[in-house]
Amino acid sequence: MNTTSSRATQKTLDLSKKPVLLWGALLAVPLLAVILFAVVQPIKVVPRIGLAPGFIFTDMYGRQLTNEDLRGQIVIYNFTTTSCEAPCIDTAPLMQELQEFVKHLDTGGIPVTLVTISLDPERDTPERLQAYARKLNADPTLWHFVTGSPERLKQVVGGGFELYYTQDEHGVFHFAPMLAIVDGNGILRVRYKRGLEDAAIAERDLRLMLEEARNSSGAAGLVYEAAHLFLCYPTY
Amino acid sequence: MSEHEHEIQHLAGGEPGAETHPGNGSLHVEKWEGIWIRVAVAMTAVFIAAITVAAMSFGITVPGVTARINPMTLNDPGSPFANPGVRELAPGKYEVYMVAQTWSFLPDRIEVPVGSEVTFYLTARDVIHGLKIANTNVNMMALPGQVSVLRAKFDKPGVYNYICHEYCGYFANSPIGHHTMYGQLIVTAPDNTTETAQVTQ
Repeated sequence: MNTTSSRATQKTLDLSKKPVLLWGALLAVPLLAVILFAVVQPIKVVPRIGLAPGFIFTDMYGRQLTNEDLRGQIVIYNFTTTSCEAPCIDTAPLMQELQEFVKHLDTGGIPVTLVTISLDPERDTPERLQAYARKLNADPTLWHFVTGSPERLKQVVGGGFELYYTQDEHGVFHFAPMLAIVDGNGILRVRYKRGLEDAAIAERDLRLMLEEARNSSGAAGLVYEAAHLFLCYPTY
Repeated sequence: MSEHEHEIQHLAGGEPGAETHPGNGSLHVEKWEGIWIRVAVAMTAVFIAAITVAAMSFGITVPGVTARINPMTLNDPGSPFANPGVRELAPGKYEVYMVAQTWSFLPDRIEVPVGSEVTFYLTARDVIHGLKIANTNVNMMALPGQVSVLRAKFDKPGVYNYICHEYCGYFANSPIGHHTMYGQLIVTAPDNTTETAQVTQ
């Protein structure tokens, strides 16, 4: 009787003294962790805007290029015409800068590709696109120049990438300078809707996307998901 | 007896053991009651955690803010707000750049075909405004310096009035006139039956 009683008391002691601490910790630790993560934002991610549009276009060698061909690659898009002159703001210099950046970047095995979509299929024939690519010093293994039928372009560039453009009575295209980056899963990650002052912001976002693609396997993937959940985005 | 009492006191630190010592100020908790207390505490913890997570994630921010813009530059060349209005991105897909100002909306008339997906980009030029399109779930804030974005689909033809619902802000000695801000969204049917649709409604 004596021993059983004391054993029972021992048990009540363990359960009655620790609970406050135990349950308090159970409450406080995850809460603190969540708040800390959301405030400190230990990793930054580039937001996921939505699914990038699918397309079948023709490149400057007359070959087909589809969005599926570019799966697994981080793709930087710009939208222009080869005859883009002032007041049309040309995004080609930015793409050139990004090409040089990508060439000298250790991407850790993840290919980064550039795609220029011409809005003017009538004038921008494959030959003209080739001449344009030469003028821009484009590396054909890295940088594609594509175009398609006006209807398809409208669906992909207007409807999908949400770039508004028009053609006036002289056949001149009017559009805002825009760049977009799509990740290897075909998700549109960033859209610079009014172009960029310089390529630095695009380079930063590219680095972040490469880091995420490299590191987000296994348990670390959950941390990256948390970063998306808590909107740990870089500032624009 | 005194030996036994001493042992319990020593082990329990004078706290539990109410069964044997009802008078020592400790609380006796039944086994099942204890379990339920723990369940209740755990539930509270889960709820607080869920609210904290929800408050900081799922994109919950000041309604619709996705970008910032200097209100002084709204009319600058290259600014999409320089020519406010509706524009067709692709068949069935539209975007509306809208400026709320004292005391009007720019534009005050939007026309889209039925079934269109419309993205609204809204900002204010001067004070805080709002946009509510009656009989739709379009309800936004317009803050100077911020761009609110909302996507909506209009499946029913008809005329929808929109108003400002944010009655705050004082501007340059003029009387408050948010209630005079007004516009119309016209959702047209493919065979121009807008008028009849309105009548039947």
